[in-house]
Amino acid sequence: MKFTLSWLKEYVDTGDLSPEALADHLTMLGLEVDGVTEVFPDLKSLKTAKVLSVEPHPNAETLHLCEVAVGEDTYSIVCGAPNVRKDLITAIALPGTVMPDGTKIKPSKVRGITSNGMLCSERELGLSDSHTGIMELPADLEHGLPLRKVLGLDDLQIEVDLTPNRPDCASVIGIAREVAGITRTPLTLPVGEVSMERGSCEFKVDIEDSEQCPRYAARLIKGVTIAPSPWWVRKRLLSIGLRPINNVVDITNLVMMEYGQPLHAFDYDTLEGKQILVRSPRSNETTFTTLDGVERSLEADMLLICDAAQPVAVAGVMGGLNSEVTATTTNILLESACFNPISIRRTARRLNLPSEASYRFERGVDPDGCITAMERAVSLLSEVAGGTAVPGGVDLYGGIRPLNSLTLRISRTSALLGIDLDYNKIADVLQSIGIRCIEKDKDTLWVNPPTFRIDIEREVDLVEEVARLIGYNNIPTSLPTVSLSYPEQDPQRRLRAQTATLLTGMGFSEAINYSFVTEKHLSLMRLAEDDLRRRQVTLLNPLSEEQSVMRTMLLPALLENLKRNINFQKNSVKLFEMGKVFTPQGENEQPIEKERLVGILSGRRNGEASSLHFNDENVDILDAKGNLEQILETLRLQGCGSIDLVQFRIPEQGEVDPYSDSSQCLLLDTEKGILGQLARLQPEVARNFGIKQEIFFFDLDLELLCSLQAIPKKFSSLPVFPAVKRDIALLVPEDVKAGDLLKTIRASKEKFIEHCEIFDVYQGKPLEKGMKSIAISMTYRSPSKTLTEKNVTKSHTKIIQQLTSQFNGSLREG
Amino acid sequence: MEQEILKLQGQAEEQLATVENGEQLEEFRIRFLGRKGQFGSLMKELANVPVEDKPRLGQMANKAKKEIEGLYTEKQQKFAEGSTRATGKSGQIDLTLPGRRPQNGKLHPVTQIMNEVCAIFESLGFSVAEGPDVEHDHYNFEALNIPAHHPARDMHDTFYVSDSILLRTHTSPMQARIMEKQQPPLRVIAPGKVYRCDSDITHTPMFHQVEGFLVDKHVSFADLKGVLTTFTQKMFEKDLALRFRPSFFPFTEPSAEVDIACVICGGSGCRVCKRTGWLEILGAGMIDPEVFKMVGYDPEIYSGFAFGLGIERIAMLKYGIDDIRLYYENDLRFLSQF
Repeated sequence: MKFTLSWLKEYVDTGDLSPEALADHLTMLGLEVDGVTEVFPDLKSLKTAKVLSVEPHPNAETLHLCEVAVGEDTYSIVCGAPNVRKDLITAIALPGTVMPDGTKIKPSKVRGITSNGMLCSERELGLSDSHTGIMELPADLEHGLPLRKVLGLDDLQIEVDLTPNRPDCASVIGIAREVAGITRTPLTLPVGEVSMERGSCEFKVDIEDSEQCPRYAARLIKGVTIAPSPWWVRKRLLSIGLRPINNVVDITNLVMMEYGQPLHAFDYDTLEGKQILVRSPRSNETTFTTLDGVERSLEADMLLICDAAQPVAVAGVMGGLNSEVTATTTNILLESACFNPISIRRTARRLNLPSEASYRFERGVDPDGCITAMERAVSLLSEVAGGTAVPGGVDLYGGIRPLNSLTLRISRTSALLGIDLDYNKIADVLQSIGIRCIEKDKDTLWVNPPTFRIDIEREVDLVEEVARLIGYNNIPTSLPTVSLSYPEQDPQRRLRAQTATLLTGMGFSEAINYSFVTEKHLSLMRLAEDDLRRRQVTLLNPLSEEQSVMRTMLLPALLENLKRNINFQKNSVKLFEMGKVFTPQGENEQPIEKERLVGILSGRRNGEASSLHFNDENVDILDAKGNLEQILETLRLQGCGSIDLVQFRIPEQGEVDPYSDSSQCLLLDTEKGILGQLARLQPEVARNFGIKQEIFFFDLDLELLCSLQAIPKKFSSLPVFPAVKRDIALLVPEDVKAGDLLKTIRASKEKFIEHCEIFDVYQGKPLEKGMKSIAISMTYRSPSKTLTEKNVTKSHTKIIQQLTSQFNGSLREG
Repeated sequence: MEQEILKLQGQAEEQLATVENGEQLEEFRIRFLGRKGQFGSLMKELANVPVEDKPRLGQMANKAKKEIEGLYTEKQQKFAEGSTRATGKSGQIDLTLPGRRPQNGKLHPVTQIMNEVCAIFESLGFSVAEGPDVEHDHYNFEALNIPAHHPARDMHDTFYVSDSILLRTHTSPMQARIMEKQQPPLRVIAPGKVYRCDSDITHTPMFHQVEGFLVDKHVSFADLKGVLTTFTQKMFEKDLALRFRPSFFPFTEPSAEVDIACVICGGSGCRVCKRTGWLEILGAGMIDPEVFKMVGYDPEIYSGFAFGLGIERIAMLKYGIDDIRLYYENDLRFLSQF
């Protein structure tokens, strides 16, 4: 809602409030001021000018050379306007001026002669569409004056961001009413309580369904002359960004802004049968051309204003081309009505036609205000367009509502707000904005909210009014008294936080990507046509194809993140994301949402760390594995005793995702199913995302992870007796898996084995081709004695024998 | 014998001085200090000296060996530290070199702020609940007193999945979801992602909110002010000026917007606060009786307040982030700053 300060002051005395203070007060009343700006700031450097002389341009027939006075200075100007003449007072843009359309005026040669500025048309100034000549100002005006001041445009525009509950303030008078509450001064309204002039009526109005149209009033005005509005009307509209059309349309707009009541003027002579019928479309009425010349499709539940034969307007939204007021119109029918907000809203939405009128109707127009606004318009029309109002009119008020009478409890108000209030205080603030109330008993007020406050329906709405008018900042601050209780923690949240902390410690940064992605991801990932992840939740109204389906995988977006980082020369990237994936269910059912954890690793293992201290090897699959091992151990799911709740497993054929490299892929098994995987990304998939370097990733089901019962922490006594270490270097065929060696050792029944680990794997010269060497470090210890050489050797030899025979290996010499 | 001891010590010192690398040092160790080394032989010879000389010569030999061992250890340490890059000829480490740092990553700034917000409310006894991103129209709107065709729906540019299923436009549906399952007293916050089909310089189509509400007997608007004042001051780590101004949400009455004094200019007016000196950070209000009625609470017995805040907005203010698109590009140059 926009208005100007001068317009507001017509109805209320703002006293000594500065514009800033006024804006601040409005904001603190819930009418948030979005901006206080000067009207037509672009015109600030324009001045009035007087044409002193006009000579023809020697090189161009249509141009003139003019001498122009601007205050004490005179300028030589080249002007092409047909109406330029001696003694004309007009508007000049001197060099340095930036015009509303952005062009900068500077001295320039026009057909060989220098022009030191420009005489302006109304269109060039953004004041109208008129471009037939330069602006003509009253001949008695002095030259050299600031144009804004002369035109009465040295005003401030105030824009209020209205909340949907306050349609009453979608009018200058509505705002003035609030201001009157601040300044405690009376309102001055343009028309008082009016009723329609009585008289017989030559036209007829019918309403099919008063539910859709609670009130319809109309009057006939004859003999109007359609012309541009006088400047004061145009100025008002221009100052708040509305485009003047002609005097009749301008008056309907002006009164709408003044009272908040949308009005519509029909060309009466175009109305078939001198009749208005408010109804829904007939089955054969499928399209209708609105006054903007666009043909609109009609739907059965829209509301139309029709004459005896056909629709002439879409009720409350836009008039029809067929009944539009034109230059030749002489008789008009003025409509002031009230329509069902839901119907208007639905129609405006479906026709994609939001208008000032529909904005007000869909929020709710006060049906009691129809007549006042209409009478105001009638009086202005006869003043401005020269019409004569035919006495009498139509006023159908089928949707009349009983006066809302509410009780307001003082104790309840005080308790809800946390402030001690009494009758006087409450009555004082309510009455300051025209809400009448009387004392019913010690604790209760009778309150009659005015009809324009359609938002006040319940006691609590009055409580809000009281709070608002007292000022929220005058309500004290306290802390609630509540009983002590332990806030339960969501285990999955805790797990996420713990895992995220671990990952950042390992060099991963957290990514957050949009939940909606492009469907194309799935093909880039090479998913099969029947892959379940191709079943996606699709948005009906996406912003773009790029954000049109809910993701079923987190990995693709992380690959895009990687690509972006590589583009900005960050080639070593470790990122993770925890987020939901979505699997559709039935049509009107919510999808299944599951939290996953996905990490990607690419580039140097030590990231950006200086090669002064760290080598610059790249990450490999074992980095991904190690990161997961560390997480699983910290979460006490692996490596914390005899049982591992999560086990790495080499996948069977057919278990490998099409985007994973089957030779570098591990699945994580649990008793509750597969927890996830880690793998090297297929280079082809990486290339699909425009990435040439190697990428590794892991992808876990966070819900499953959370459902695993961590191995409880349990103390075991520290060993008392020393350990003995022995190494084994085993020469085995190259396809032997190191992990299988460890498994065999761990499964062996040999006594005293405390620990075994691989410390070297070697393949190449001088080893025989097809063979590799695996070096294992063994730790032996007894809980009850110091082991002797003999004890250890016995076990150690057995282990070696077992390994060599089982894996077809031999002990490596030297 | 004495001569031999001194001679050996001299030889050892001489050779040790020429040692330049680990390999030579090891050779030295084997030759002099090893089990079969020269000091070992010397000790064995001591067995043959006259008994009366034994203590003196023994002591002397031990002392000589200790001294050589000491020099050996010194040298060994020097080599151990001895990436020769770090130590100059003097053996002094260049302490102006950068430290050897493990590389760690960072949590996303949104997560960091979210964690801070949640921690403050958890300290005040609020529990944390999460809900679905893809929501029923009922919970997102109807149960919050926003019927179909209510103009308040204009405040929510909604992504739809079907007629009745949508991407939640706020975290407020959790109010209804929790209240319909639990009885007061309630103190809950609900963090999560929310979606609006709006994308420009100041809006991303997905962002994060935290919804919070408290329901009990005798909860007042003054309590709402108290809790949110406490939160804001903890969040911004100072006693920021705060103002509450009337606003409108269909599910609260009275409704308020909460502004803090601009953290950029301190209230004197700047570009960030649009010269008002104030920054909007929270929406809040007393829970509307209609919302209580829909979940079967008696509004004559219970009252409560609810609030919602945008995480990205707070991160922008706290960290001075000036372009919201950065949040979801996951550029390490951005992520590593927080």
